[in-house]
Amino acid sequence: MEGLKNTLEYLLTPSAPIFIVGALIVLLVPILVHFFVVRTTPYTTLPTILLVGPSGAGKTSLLTLVERGDKTVPTHTSQTPQPVELTVSAGGAVQSFRETAKEDAPGMHKKFLLMDTPGHGKLRKFAMDRVNTQDSLKGIMFVLDAAALDENLPATGSYLYDVLLALQKRMGAGKTSRGPSSIHVLIAANKSDLFTALPVSLVKSNLEAELGRIRKSKSKGLLDSGVGADDVGNEESDNWLGTYGAEKFSFSQMREFDLEVDIVGGSVLEGKVDKWWKWISARV
Amino acid sequence: MLDTFEILTTSGVVLWSRSFSHVNPAIINNFIADVFIEEKAAAAGVKDTKSAANNPAYKADQHTLRWSFSKELGVIFVAVYRSLLHLSWVDKLVDNLKTIFVDLYGEQLQKPNTTVVRCEKFDDYFDQQLRELESKATTKAAQPGGTAFIDEESISGNLGDEPPLPPGLKHRNKVHDGAQDRPSTAESTPVATPNQSRPSTPGGNHLVVGKTGPMGKVSRRARKMQINSSATASSGDEGPGRKGKKAPKKGRKWDADGFADEDDGVQLDYSVTGKSATSDSEAEATGRSTVVEEIDSATWGSKTSKGQFVLRDLDDEVHGILSSAQSKNSDNAPTGIVNTGLSSINSLFRNIVGGKTLTKEDLAKPMDGMEKHLIEKNVAREAAVRLREGVEKELLGVKTGSFESIDTRIKKAMEASLTKMLTPTSSLDLLREIDAVTRPSTLSGRKPRPFVMSIVGVNGVGKSTNLSKICFFLLQNKYKVLIAAGDTFRSGAVEQLKVHVRNLKELTEREGGQVDIFEKGYGGDAASVAKDAVKEAANEGYDVVLIDTAGRRHNDQRLMSSLEKFAKFAQPDKILMVGEALVGSDSVAQARNFNSSFGPGRNLDGFIISKCDTVGDMVGTLVSIVHATNVPVLFVGVGQHYSDIRNFSVRWAVEKLLST
Ligand SMILES: Nc1nc2c(ncn2[C@@H]2O[C@H](COP(=O)(O)OP(=O)(O)OP(=O)(O)O)[C@@H](O)[C@H]2O)c(=O)[nH]1
Ligand SMILES: [Mg+2]
Repeated sequence: MEGLKNTLEYLLTPSAPIFIVGALIVLLVPILVHFFVVRTTPYTTLPTILLVGPSGAGKTSLLTLVERGDKTVPTHTSQTPQPVELTVSAGGAVQSFRETAKEDAPGMHKKFLLMDTPGHGKLRKFAMDRVNTQDSLKGIMFVLDAAALDENLPATGSYLYDVLLALQKRMGAGKTSRGPSSIHVLIAANKSDLFTALPVSLVKSNLEAELGRIRKSKSKGLLDSGVGADDVGNEESDNWLGTYGAEKFSFSQMREFDLEVDIVGGSVLEGKVDKWWKWISARV
Repeated sequence: MLDTFEILTTSGVVLWSRSFSHVNPAIINNFIADVFIEEKAAAAGVKDTKSAANNPAYKADQHTLRWSFSKELGVIFVAVYRSLLHLSWVDKLVDNLKTIFVDLYGEQLQKPNTTVVRCEKFDDYFDQQLRELESKATTKAAQPGGTAFIDEESISGNLGDEPPLPPGLKHRNKVHDGAQDRPSTAESTPVATPNQSRPSTPGGNHLVVGKTGPMGKVSRRARKMQINSSATASSGDEGPGRKGKKAPKKGRKWDADGFADEDDGVQLDYSVTGKSATSDSEAEATGRSTVVEEIDSATWGSKTSKGQFVLRDLDDEVHGILSSAQSKNSDNAPTGIVNTGLSSINSLFRNIVGGKTLTKEDLAKPMDGMEKHLIEKNVAREAAVRLREGVEKELLGVKTGSFESIDTRIKKAMEASLTKMLTPTSSLDLLREIDAVTRPSTLSGRKPRPFVMSIVGVNGVGKSTNLSKICFFLLQNKYKVLIAAGDTFRSGAVEQLKVHVRNLKELTEREGGQVDIFEKGYGGDAASVAKDAVKEAANEGYDVVLIDTAGRRHNDQRLMSSLEKFAKFAQPDKILMVGEALVGSDSVAQARNFNSSFGPGRNLDGFIISKCDTVGDMVGTLVSIVHATNVPVLFVGVGQHYSDIRNFSVRWAVEKLLST
């Protein structure tokens, strides 16, 4: 008790050591807090290419291929997103992704993140959140299985529709306020090694027809719960993918919204991904 | 014999695998989808890190999958084998390999932004474990004197849909889970008497008691299979040296401690140590008690190497890893009260600034609050508890982000959980699906036919009303609709439907809608009426048949059982159930019973939740129903008019549920 009193008295009496200690505390605490926060905050400023697409299309396979450079590893249904840090070298003559992805490739090196996302219907939020809001997003690769497009057309189409509509809305919002300059979309028609695989031209026409159908049935569909009957008017044109009122949908309509959509075929299994890699290099 | 063993991440990359025969990758994909993503029934609560024995086996297409999951690292360990072979040691294999893998490669697995894990060496560890566990199983079966009979029983006693755990596993689990949730069952192992006299093994009574403990009555067939399985196992070409020189060595070991019947290297060594000093039966006793007392793991390792049996280095290493993991698990309960003052200040600080590692205590109170909040929103207790547990397990050991309080983190996790639960696996675009059936593309080779949809539910929830709403929507889109009056039971039902049809006709005449009613009066068989309606629709070129059904109480056996016949006769493309959003209705039991009433292989396709406009934010019923059935909500009714039906928006529901 007595000791405590003494200490208190000492602390409250102005003296040099007390001032110094006090000043140190005042100065150091914010600095420490700053370091603490900085250390615990992960850096996420690398440009990001997002891999989206229905389950089983080959997103994770592609990810493992470009990370390892020479081979894929077996994969199963993904449940969580998975970023992988990669390097591209621009400038030097680009031959194949294997060379440009190397650490010692000639030309300028650029790091970026390739982000895999799960394609399962219940887990698309991971991808859609990033499509909607991620700032460092430089491009979106929509991977699909060209060999099973016949059966999967409705499912693939509706996912692609969601992605494109989300992007369109995002770009639309960007006109008024600060938004992304432009986001390119690459539709990667995978599994061209299989004999059932549709050629790129057919993939394109099938998808366009499907998106047109979806857009039509959506426009006639029921409203979502939570959307009041009053704000129907302006919703209509906002929720229309591509040129409003156009009879047929085509990917070129997305240019209106600064969205460039390309379709390129390839095969992860055979390592035929150079064109995709080139597209990525151009984005980051 | 094992078919395949895989180690894969939650991001879908297979880190390591060994395959003995080809297994369709779809099996593991389905396993992931059912158990981890859709969290179907029994598998709820997977987010926890548990021993393989506690995880229900997943059965598919003649295969059985045993698995374990490391939550921190996001790695799944799964073994696949033919269901015919009842391999009792697989649990152990999965558990041990998990422990070893996590120990060896845990650090690599934590590296961000890469999927590469260098684990080629794991081959050796796998071989070692496979050899060890498998030879134990076969030695047991081949042991002279121990009649194959008993051994088989003891092995196959561990099988079945709800496998009683072999004693060895119980032991381990007990140590594993330590003070946590699982009550130990080791002590309560029932003593099975009939097999106690085992001819050529004096003093082996202990063994038989322990071993046959959890076994149930096993059918002749099961025994036979076991014989087959052990035969296959011994003829398979697993790890090198399993037969040659190794076998006698093992055999000797087993002569010594075979009685221990612990499928565990650790036990094995205890007994070996014990053996040098004491008689067999005492060895058994020491073996057992030592485990319970958790001896220092370091000492037994060296003892073993000095002991009679020269084990390979790898064996030593493996046992070292396993036992140190075991003792770590039993140690980490209370760590002393020394630093609590400091750490509580630290935790307070981190709670504000973020970067706090969440513990059970941190979570308890805010989670109570969250659970209460959900229940106040009319979520059934059962569902609220499951959501709570899911989120709790997910957050345990997680670091909060900077300047993120526990509450915000929990809210975020709950939002994700709810979204995942409510989001249907495949989204429904009704018009698109109708078109696919009524106007199939020429490529598909299917013949056009009417799209059949039926609506079920208890009395008075608004079946006919909601059917009319959907009809109105279809008519606006110029479909030709036939409404079938399947309620041949309640007087007035047909007339009521006729009124609806008349109204709908009037409302949509100008827009070109076309709707008619198909009715056969009262007293007829509803299933036949439905069937006739579909036939008529096909002949007359209708696009859609909407079948109304009699309201029935979900616990009315007689009426419920007629639904199966109905589903078979009418072959509906979609069966939707109407449920009420109202507080206090026993919607969960209703949903469950209806969902299981259509016979094997047929479930509800979706729910229409009516009267959502009357409950404000209290939309918890939605969650309870989806939780109970895994069937998505597709539409919600929001008023009295024909146009008052909406697509169900997950975001809308989640916002309402979490709003305060
Ligand atoms: N024939 C062939 N098969 C491929 C090709 N690319 C991937 N696959 C196979 O397709 C299957 C699915 O690939 P994943 O990469 O796991 O699919 P995903 O898109 O990641 O699927 P989710 O994670 O469920 O969204 C794997 O079995 C691959 O081996 C290809 O180019 N050709
Ligand atoms: Mg994947």
